[in-house]
Amino acid sequence: MFKQLFNKSMIMIILFSTLNVIMYFSIKKFWIGGSSFLPMIGKLGPNNALLFAFLVNMGVIVGAFLGAVFSKEFSLKTPQMKDIPKAIIGGILIGIGITLAPGTCTTSFVIGFPMLSISSFISGAGIFIGGYIVYLTILKKNLSK
Amino acid sequence: MSFTLLVTIGFIFGIGLGFFVQRAGLCFAHGLGEIFVGKPKRIIRMTLLIFIISALGFYFSSFISADLGLKPIGELRGFGFYNLLSGMIFGAGIILNGGCILGTLRQLGEGNLTFLIVLLSFIPGMALVVFVLNPLLNHSYNVQNIILPGLLNIDPGYIIFPSVLGAIIWYTILSLKRN
Repeated sequence: MFKQLFNKSMIMIILFSTLNVIMYFSIKKFWIGGSSFLPMIGKLGPNNALLFAFLVNMGVIVGAFLGAVFSKEFSLKTPQMKDIPKAIIGGILIGIGITLAPGTCTTSFVIGFPMLSISSFISGAGIFIGGYIVYLTILKKNLSK
Repeated sequence: MSFTLLVTIGFIFGIGLGFFVQRAGLCFAHGLGEIFVGKPKRIIRMTLLIFIISALGFYFSSFISADLGLKPIGELRGFGFYNLLSGMIFGAGIILNGGCILGTLRQLGEGNLTFLIVLLSFIPGMALVVFVLNPLLNHSYNVQNIILPGLLNIDPGYIIFPSVLGAIIWYTILSLKRN
């Protein structure tokens, strides 16, 4: 029964969430997603708060690299030509989404919902709707071909 | 605490978060895709676990320090209209390229360089809003920062405990249900 309740992925999610809470308790900051990339356009935020968040996310890349090496899942994949337009358009849309209303991104699911933040509930609904429109109009057609 | 020390500690936390995200295979773009194709069990369980642990942790943090506790995330703009709109744009973007913010960072760490292009493509999108749209829209924003207990004017515990209990029950039912 324990294995049904908590497989390896779920235990990792427990550790991820616990670490995020410990971070909040210890340095009074939590992981944030989208807004943390604003330093890439020169916006560092009050007291360099966004620069801090950006550097935390650089740590996330390093951690993911270590996790992939540790589990022998690391493989260097160069982008294929057919994926580049999707990556660029998707990236631009994400860039617009994360700045048009701050807090609209993965942060909604990881931080906003547990904080009972109204903006995150609305953003979450928007993410679902926007994702479903793209799924219906682009991805589902490609999958059925 | 100096900023250098804060950043060093934050970076170390980031490494831990990235490690666990990679080992869990967490990505909300993939999760949404799983929901759309009718296999929502994995991502719902993950989201429920994150909710249970974080909601309790954030709630109890208010008893440690007045600076902590539940806080509004981001801003509620235009009575939520801009949040819905930006959510839709963000949702479209992540489904199109197959990586949310955590998913993009994770897959980049795993060596998929397509996500470096995704990450760099944030720049024109962010610049468009920050330097062009925001100056035009700033006057029309109605900006609020509010959490659900504040809106209902009740103690957060009245929402946190029943919702966490509900999440635990939902998680258990989903986990024990056969595929």
